[in-house]
Amino acid sequence: MAVPRLLDSLRGAATQAGGALLGRLQHVRLPGLGQSSVPEDPETAARRWRAVTVLCSPEQVGTGADLPAPLAALGDRLDLRITPAPGDRGTELAARYRDRPSDDDLRALRSALRETKQLIEVGEVLRVDPAPHGVRTPTPQGAALEGATARAGGEGVL
Amino acid sequence: MSCERLWNRAGSAGQERGSIVRAATWTGVDEVSVETVPDPQILNDHDVILRVRRTTTCGSDLHLLGGYIPFMRAGDVLGHEFMGEVVEVGRGVRERRVGDRVVVNSFIACGHCWYCRQELYSLCDNGNPNPGITESLWGQSPGGCFGYSHAMGGWAGSHAEYVRVPYADVGAFVVPEGVSDERALFASDAVSTGWMGADLAGTKPGDVVAVWGAGGVGQMAARAAMLLGAERVYVIDRLPERLAQVREHVGAETIDYSRTDVPAELREVTGGRGPDVCIEAVGMEAHSSGIQGAYDQVKQQLRLQTDRPSAVREAILACRKGGSVFVLGVFALMVDKFPLGAMMNKGLTVRGAQVHGQRYMPRILEHMARGELTTEHLATHVMALEEAPRGYQMFKDKTDGCVRAVFTP
Ligand SMILES: NC(=O)c1ccc[n+]([C@@H]2O[C@H](COP(=O)([O-])OP(=O)(O)OC[C@H]3O[C@@H](n4cnc5c(N)ncnc54)[C@H](O)[C@@H]3O)[C@@H](O)[C@H]2O)c1
Ligand SMILES: [Zn+2]
Ligand SMILES: [Zn+2]
Repeated sequence: MAVPRLLDSLRGAATQAGGALLGRLQHVRLPGLGQSSVPEDPETAARRWRAVTVLCSPEQVGTGADLPAPLAALGDRLDLRITPAPGDRGTELAARYRDRPSDDDLRALRSALRETKQLIEVGEVLRVDPAPHGVRTPTPQGAALEGATARAGGEGVL
Repeated sequence: MSCERLWNRAGSAGQERGSIVRAATWTGVDEVSVETVPDPQILNDHDVILRVRRTTTCGSDLHLLGGYIPFMRAGDVLGHEFMGEVVEVGRGVRERRVGDRVVVNSFIACGHCWYCRQELYSLCDNGNPNPGITESLWGQSPGGCFGYSHAMGGWAGSHAEYVRVPYADVGAFVVPEGVSDERALFASDAVSTGWMGADLAGTKPGDVVAVWGAGGVGQMAARAAMLLGAERVYVIDRLPERLAQVREHVGAETIDYSRTDVPAELREVTGGRGPDVCIEAVGMEAHSSGIQGAYDQVKQQLRLQTDRPSAVREAILACRKGGSVFVLGVFALMVDKFPLGAMMNKGLTVRGAQVHGQRYMPRILEHMARGELTTEHLATHVMALEEAPRGYQMFKDKTDGCVRAVFTP
């Protein structure tokens, strides 16, 4: 039974660059992991609208040059869809690239959506680094994690 | 900035702030060290810097130490349950001031997103700057937690002389005068977690409540259930010193699971019904004897399951029809032999959560001030931060009656 070998696959992936590790994790499709059993072809997956719900009115998101800086920076490469969320949950802010995006493009979009949401909801983007820490004794898992966390703001299922 | 800080700290005891900050760090599986780390800085407008007065071990740390949550890097500062004194405030902080004696919730929540507005603070959308890992594991990312691995944000923990507290207006609560540091400390996590379990499981006056685990969390879940009006409360564990604490300090009844068939005992004392509310406060390293225990150990070690859920299983089997089971113990990913049939056919409500502490801390501090909620007995071993490795060893092995090791940086 090959089911939750996930933690081991994490440890085992230590030889890989950490970011690639997270990227791989997202595409793990093991029975019992609760992920979709039907992997989409990369073209369809890349073309999906990526959406966050922001607790604000649609007007507060803005348009064009008034968009929060992280989204404005991606400029006219994006289509945007801004609609009220049901049940007073705020505004659904969805975006996708007009052209076929690279993995780096998708990471940039995930980060931009998350940062936009934070700027509107809290007024600033939360920073964790530099966080105080002791000696980073090199371990394979440590190196993999470093890469993974350095990119984690742009990763995930968004 | 450092001048301003030294200025702010004028009058407080201890060494000057500056280059040297001591901290207890994770340096490998089952390895804790005390090292020198950089001084934390204010990085966001809503931050404060706290001089830590008390910081404690929590059962959740054991899962990290043991390597069951493999997202730690050597050198990460541990600790998420703490209180202290504000020594510096960011520009956007409105409610907290330098000199405030505060207790801080273990989860980092913005106070503005939809989840925070629903008082589901540990689900905050804006508390974890590294949501990629948990989104990939669980489909959505919960909030961030101090000192709890890079999966939960990579935040430096509180086992240090100083700690940075983001969103301080939301997560840091002033300790009422007359409430001791040792009492207030546990409002941070153990009490707020226990309270949340009792509350969100729907405990009502007249209920019979059973709690698995007599650690800090289980004891406080039991106490909260009593304050919420439960008629009878039973706490289940095998460690005699912890069960004695429950009888003496919490006022609940106890069951020793190493000598008693727990569901049978609970049926007998509830007229055959089973408890209305079952609260699990054990987590993924649950102990169990006999075949079930051996089975879970082997499967966990072979990584065919990541978590050992024996207390959750027992709670589901013991619960009355239509009752509710709340999972407070931390689980990482997968369990095996989950009694889904019992859950479905008995019409149970099963719920779990990381702590929505900000929702309960004001009320908890009031109860503490009135003497209705005492926690000093949990601090069985108070020691200097330099002794953290010894403290963790005792806490992990449950030696010398250790319930919680508390550090005084
Ligand atoms: N949900 C949250 O936000 C939150 C917050 C804090 C702690 N926790 C979790 O709560 C759990 C308890 O924390 P703690 O600090 O009290 O830990 P602890 O290690 O001090 O206590 C756990 C207790 O469970 C007992 N136990 C083990 N197996 C048992 C079984 N099969 N039946 C009954 N009791 C059993 C142990 O003897 C021990 O006394 C941990 O899993 C921790 O991660 C969750
Ligand atoms: Zn905890
Ligand atoms: Zn929030």
